[in-house]
Amino acid sequence: MSDTEFLSAGEEPSESALLVESEGIAVEPITQWDLFWTRLRRHRLAMIASGVLALLVLVVVSAPVLQAAGWIDSPVERLVDEGGRTLRNIPPRLSDGTVQILPPGAEAHPASTSALWFGSDDLGRGVFSRVIYGGRASLIVGFVTGMIVALFGTVMGSIAGYYPGAVDQSLMRFTDLVLGLPLLPVAIVVGRILPELTFLPGWIKQGPMGIALLLGFLSWGGLARIVRAEFLSLREKEFVEAARAAGASDRRIVFRHALPNAMSPIIVQTTLIVGIAIVIEAALSFLGFGVPPPTPTWGAMAAEGGRLAVRGFWWELVFSGFALVTTVLSINFLGDGLRDALDPTQTIERK
Amino acid sequence: MLAYITRRLVYGLVTLLALSMIVFSLLQASGGGPLDRLRLNPRMQPVIELLTKQWGLDQPVWKQYVTWLKNYVTPSELSFENALPLLAIVVAAGASIAVAKLMKSHWKGALILLVWALAVFVIFSNMTLKFNWGISFQGAGDVWDLVFGRVGATFRLGFSALFLALMIGVPLGIYQAIRQYSFFDQLGTTVAFVAFSTPIFIVGVGLQLILALYFEKWTGVKLFYVTGMNSPHYGEMTLFQQIGDTLQHLTLPAISIALISLAGYSRFQRASMLEVLHSDYLRTAKAKGLPRSRVIVKHALRNALIPVVTLISLDIAFMIGGAIITETIFGWPGVGRLYITAIGTIDYPLVMAIVMIIGIGIVIMNVVADILYGVMDPRVRYE
Repeated sequence: MSDTEFLSAGEEPSESALLVESEGIAVEPITQWDLFWTRLRRHRLAMIASGVLALLVLVVVSAPVLQAAGWIDSPVERLVDEGGRTLRNIPPRLSDGTVQILPPGAEAHPASTSALWFGSDDLGRGVFSRVIYGGRASLIVGFVTGMIVALFGTVMGSIAGYYPGAVDQSLMRFTDLVLGLPLLPVAIVVGRILPELTFLPGWIKQGPMGIALLLGFLSWGGLARIVRAEFLSLREKEFVEAARAAGASDRRIVFRHALPNAMSPIIVQTTLIVGIAIVIEAALSFLGFGVPPPTPTWGAMAAEGGRLAVRGFWWELVFSGFALVTTVLSINFLGDGLRDALDPTQTIERK
Repeated sequence: MLAYITRRLVYGLVTLLALSMIVFSLLQASGGGPLDRLRLNPRMQPVIELLTKQWGLDQPVWKQYVTWLKNYVTPSELSFENALPLLAIVVAAGASIAVAKLMKSHWKGALILLVWALAVFVIFSNMTLKFNWGISFQGAGDVWDLVFGRVGATFRLGFSALFLALMIGVPLGIYQAIRQYSFFDQLGTTVAFVAFSTPIFIVGVGLQLILALYFEKWTGVKLFYVTGMNSPHYGEMTLFQQIGDTLQHLTLPAISIALISLAGYSRFQRASMLEVLHSDYLRTAKAKGLPRSRVIVKHALRNALIPVVTLISLDIAFMIGGAIITETIFGWPGVGRLYITAIGTIDYPLVMAIVMIIGIGIVIMNVVADILYGVMDPRVRYE
């Protein structure tokens, strides 16, 4: 019997089929995923958090549709007019010439199709629609950064962990180097320079994509280290040794044996990075080095709202800050739930 | 251990070189040039020529980088005149370390290390050392003087924040671990989670508005100042007034920076303490009938405090970022705010100098944490 035959004899026929043969009844096998879902569902905060995140993604993704349907205003254009005439871009002014900043719940103006649930800002734009559109920047940054980190960190970490010696050493030195860069100071420089780099395409320069790419390439180091450590310990495990003895190829060992067992730290760390990336993007925008205006972001709105709040107009700061904190908190709670659910040594008692 | 530290320092040096190259080329890649604003003023022509020559701005980028690097590491002034007697202290302290090492006493070693660090500090503050970091392109003055005129403010803020975070976070974590699953523990966990998820700028702006601005508006009592580090008439105050004034300015920005770190320390300390509490030797200590307080203080605490030391070095890198944001919010005259101003106008010499200072600080902190960890935990071996 050749090695491959031995392997396929051990793995390929489904376990339920074997059970049917031996006992005559079909029993649904409990898979890893079933266990994972059972544990995750038990984590109440994580379930609430995923509900909040799902709602957020839904609202944010459908923002253009909502705008087309007339439920929210354009986040960029000023939404109000003067004396009932449809004059977009002219916010109502007070007698001294300054723009009238409307409180939450103010009546909609004729040119605007929705009520000002969250009030308006000093340029007469609706805060509600800006908070929703601001979520786009945050979610894009969170998602893209998470993807880059998961991909890059896993590839780097698994190569380093699987091939000890020169490959491992050089990759880890590179990782140390990236980890050694001070994140925020470097991100600030890049954020400042980015719009001026003429050779870059517009979608990187203007939107949140540039910031996402930047944060992704600055923050994969931690995950790479974790995956490497995981691989180093996995390659010493008996089942990997058994697979190798049975003649499994490197590719098979990595993708069938090592990676699935390293999934848990990868998922948890990536979730953590998503939250951090959203906070850093917001901080960059707050400082004025993130996504350039007039594109709304929660960070820039907090900065603007802070200046308005000094004059007593608290709403822009409060609503953008609330959106930001709720999102990051939900992601962190979800990460906590995932950590618990993915840990096979977790005892069942915990609520 | 010496080999280990040397290797870490070499890696740190490579990281610093990479950092300087990245930031330098980024600054170079920005459109226009650093002198664009000066060109608006025709009388600035000689200054422009001087700067162009000094920085080799008409040269290719790599040559400019080499010029920068050479200038950056070359001292332009160096004298030990005031510091010479103190050099003796350093030598003496070094000798004492050797003695302590022979005596193998960690606590004496740590104490001597402290004295030595103090001596080095005094020497540095007494000697005249200046590097040729150039002149700010925006005409703000000599970069070395600019940066070091502001380092003190940032240190004051940073150390206050670190102190707050450690003094509150660590005992909190220990208490939570001792009373695991109690109401207080659950509350602490939840609060730490929320604090951890709240960006520094939200905390900063919130504290500033509510406790400094609105509080005074509502009650008429000035509890905290909105911006700045000292009141203008600080010099004429009595000592007590000065302390009060300092605290009124310092508290809010320090809390803003400390909050996330505080949450981190309490979580980390809780986990570390729980691990020790569940260890075998602690069960032994309890089993042989030692009083609970003695078990916790003598056996558990000493070991549970060690891992936190590693967190401090990581935290300082994080706090530098926090200081940049907080100093901007509270108008704190520190390096962080200088950095933001410098980047706004792409003032290369200044940006480069500050980025490198931050990088050097992080490298040194990491090495110090490694050494401290080894001093505190005899099980740690350096290879």
